[in-house]
Amino acid sequence: MSGNENGLDQRIKAYFDNLFSGVGASQQLFDLKEELTINMKERIADYRARGMDDEQAFKEAIVSMGDLSGLVDDMRRLGQDTARINIYSSMANRISAGFIVVGVLLVLFGIFVMAMTYFMQMEGVAVAGNGIFVVAGGMLFTYGLLTRETDRKYAMNKVRAALYGLSIGSILFGIFSAAVTHFSVGETYVSIASLMVFFLGGVGLFLILALTGSDRRKPDH
Amino acid sequence: MMSSTISTDIIRGHTDTIILNILRQGDSYGYEIYKRIIQLSGQRYELKEATLYTAFRRLEKEGFIVSYWGDETQGGRRKYYRITEEGRKHYERNVKDWDFAKDILETLIKGGIEDVRE
Repeated sequence: MSGNENGLDQRIKAYFDNLFSGVGASQQLFDLKEELTINMKERIADYRARGMDDEQAFKEAIVSMGDLSGLVDDMRRLGQDTARINIYSSMANRISAGFIVVGVLLVLFGIFVMAMTYFMQMEGVAVAGNGIFVVAGGMLFTYGLLTRETDRKYAMNKVRAALYGLSIGSILFGIFSAAVTHFSVGETYVSIASLMVFFLGGVGLFLILALTGSDRRKPDH
Repeated sequence: MMSSTISTDIIRGHTDTIILNILRQGDSYGYEIYKRIIQLSGQRYELKEATLYTAFRRLEKEGFIVSYWGDETQGGRRKYYRITEEGRKHYERNVKDWDFAKDILETLIKGGIEDVRE
């Protein structure tokens, strides 16, 4: 008999879990499920006392409860609100936004200065030299983007995000140093050599990170 | 189970007052309130449990009732509701409104025009 009751408890739990599936977690949802569960158990016990078997009592209880969709909607709204508050008020996300903004501005600044010096017809090495802003901006942007928590994904941990930033920076720096070397030395093989060191380092680091990453997706999406 | 039932349209506006009427006579929880309402109606009216939970949330938000968990050890805790002072006042107001409205409705629904003197 107690095995039976456990089975019924499982069914009730499964029923409410299914009813509220996809609803964002909140304290209210947790409490409501507990409240609904105990009341349903009591109702089923009443039906059984009237001579119904488990199966009948369970089905009858669900039908007699009535339409719970209004409650599901209430809970969904609550779940979304808490998720939104958690994401957008968090300090970490403001910091990440700062990194993204500064990163993008640095990249744009670098591109503008490069264009300017190019049209001022300055030496190639001076034009390429301003590419360092793009390198720095790219690193900050990468870090900011990965440490950001969104509706769908949790933020990456800071060390990992910083390593990603470093790998992107390294790849960009490889290209940057190749360009600078190309214009200052004028020998393509030297420039390929300097490209190779940083570029390979960056790609290697990127691959290691990409292949060892954990899933940051949120369960409800 | 019900021999005959009242149309939900008629009763909808009074759900909160009905719940407050149960709770002003003692703290209670979802399924028990549901059963008391059936009992009180002489088995003629069933307010769905689902409707009750929505009403509890609304009444609690408005400060007319408060909730607390019972200390049952077997089979999980019950969530009890208790009427507040504010809730009692709200109930009294609704009763007055009802007394006023029911006389007018009676004549509006059954009264003949020729009976009314200018």
